[in-house]
Amino acid sequence: MNTLDGLAHGLSVALQPSILVYSLFGALLGTFVGVLPGIGAMAAITLLLPITYYISSEAALVMLAGVYYGAQYGGAVASILLRLPGTPQSAVTTLDGYPLAQQGRAGVALFTSMISSFCGSILGIVILVLLAGWLAEVATMFGAAEYAAMMIMGLVAAATVGGGAPSKSLAMVVVGLILGCVGTDVNSGAQRFTFGQTQLLDGINLVALAMGLFGVAEVIANITKADRHGPPDRITLRQLLPQRNELRRMVAPIARGTTLGGFFGALPGTGSTISSFLSYAMERRVSRKPESFGKGAIEGIAGPEAANNSAAITAFVPTLTLGIPGDPIMALMLGALVIHGIQPGPMMLEARPDMFWGLVASFGIGNLFLLILNLPLIGIWVSMLRIPFRWLYPAIIVFICLGVYSVRGATFDIVMVAGIGAVGYLLALASFSPAMLLLGFVLGPLIETNLRRAMLISRGDPMVFIERPIACLFVVATTGLILFATCKAIFGSRPQPKDEATS
Amino acid sequence: MQRDYQDLAWGAILALLGAFVAAYAATSYEIGNLRRMGPGFFPVALGLVLMLLGAAIGLSALKRAAAPQPLAWREGLGVIGALIIFALLMPRLGVVIATALASLTSSAVAPRQGVLWRLVLCVAVTFLTWLVFVVALDMTIPVWPKVQ
Repeated sequence: MNTLDGLAHGLSVALQPSILVYSLFGALLGTFVGVLPGIGAMAAITLLLPITYYISSEAALVMLAGVYYGAQYGGAVASILLRLPGTPQSAVTTLDGYPLAQQGRAGVALFTSMISSFCGSILGIVILVLLAGWLAEVATMFGAAEYAAMMIMGLVAAATVGGGAPSKSLAMVVVGLILGCVGTDVNSGAQRFTFGQTQLLDGINLVALAMGLFGVAEVIANITKADRHGPPDRITLRQLLPQRNELRRMVAPIARGTTLGGFFGALPGTGSTISSFLSYAMERRVSRKPESFGKGAIEGIAGPEAANNSAAITAFVPTLTLGIPGDPIMALMLGALVIHGIQPGPMMLEARPDMFWGLVASFGIGNLFLLILNLPLIGIWVSMLRIPFRWLYPAIIVFICLGVYSVRGATFDIVMVAGIGAVGYLLALASFSPAMLLLGFVLGPLIETNLRRAMLISRGDPMVFIERPIACLFVVATTGLILFATCKAIFGSRPQPKDEATS
Repeated sequence: MQRDYQDLAWGAILALLGAFVAAYAATSYEIGNLRRMGPGFFPVALGLVLMLLGAAIGLSALKRAAAPQPLAWREGLGVIGALIIFALLMPRLGVVIATALASLTSSAVAPRQGVLWRLVLCVAVTFLTWLVFVVALDMTIPVWPKVQ
């Protein structure tokens, strides 16, 4: 199926009322949780996971994707108006968005972030379509050794390149891998780490783990934190319109941000947060007036917002074509697909064109919908910021309970969520990344299976990872990343000037 | 400034967890060989790696100072308590009473004083839950206490 046929087919899938409704619902809900500081896309997707059992796999994926990119739009609102990033991806938008708001130009900042997000997404879709076809062809050459090596590289890259101490992130990845071992071993039938609990035979429930780590732990952390800000000013439609020269200043940053985000989003391990920071640093470097950054530069909003939306779209490339999630949100998407018995991989483009092209088309429709709807709705989103968190979190807790209960009707799972949430809160307090744990948990069984298969095929010879060129490339990259992180840990502990962009 | 006891403690916990996982897997499951890995191979390897990482985290914390993070233990207790209450009561008393009690428990730890808003919120959350899960989604859960 060529690209044009594919897109036409995708549109026919995505425009079916049953799919369209879920797509728009996801996009709106995503914007809503993105606006509210204290709940992120991760928590929202987790809360929706149980619902995906009851709807078709296409509708489920389209809805969860809608939450993901909707949250990117919404996150910028809280960043600009309150200097509170609604999502981590929009943290960098506070740097120039908030100063603009203080100058009474919040409307222009909001407009810039929306139009940049939209352009970034649409160009991201183009990159996704181009890359996915190519990567799916390359991936047919992959054997078990390549898959195992690539997934390990993805985990190591996510842990070492992202923010935070690499040793802590790696430790979380390993804890996740260990938790992934719990339950019946698919290869031998042995029951591992079940300690006689029949409830654990199927392993730890993905929904319970994600709800504990991202629902409960975040609620606890935000009860006292989220309400410490004054109410924002009202915004009218007229204030949104930028001047003509400001529009012109957005074009180049959007183009640069999209390219950067499209590239880094498609790599496993890096994602939209990193691309938005990189784009900000890049814009400041190429700017003729770098001193204006941090004081309300339009370029400092346009670039990063285009970058994080473009990255959010291209993050689907490795997830859909290789079956390897690059970030924890993609790990949840993969989980949702696996629940429906779909194993994403190179064959998916051919075998499930509805899924792939329908999703691509829904990206376009959803983003257009968000742009058209968010401009008039901006007043409503701003008034959402007036809802105090204390009105929301008791409902979130009850929804978590019923959500996890609905998966298999066991109150045991609710107790497990409570335990995981408590530990998750303590871990997050000590700046261990729960996202890394989830990534390890989802990839663990896949890595183990491929590793075993590779060793079986090579008759126990570990040289298979060196002799096969693609696998060797991944092994070399992994080793490089680990060496880099070790050097940074040993030599980087001395006090050094902090880079403003990453602080 | 005091030592970074938090990282020290977590380093130790993770190292011990790694040691336990490796030892438990090594004694309970078959390790096999490289050609045919048994169910114990992967967990033992992971346990050993976690031991190393835990040690690295703990050791690097030794020479560093850090202020302890404030622990939101009240909020934590309220939220965890609400979850446990819901899990224990829902099968016996039904979703309506369990939701109301869970909502009251969790809102009790909110920073704002006052009783009225908590009661209003409790009614609102309970009604919303009933509407979404019982009426709209038609979930098979006990709604009211079972009459003997």
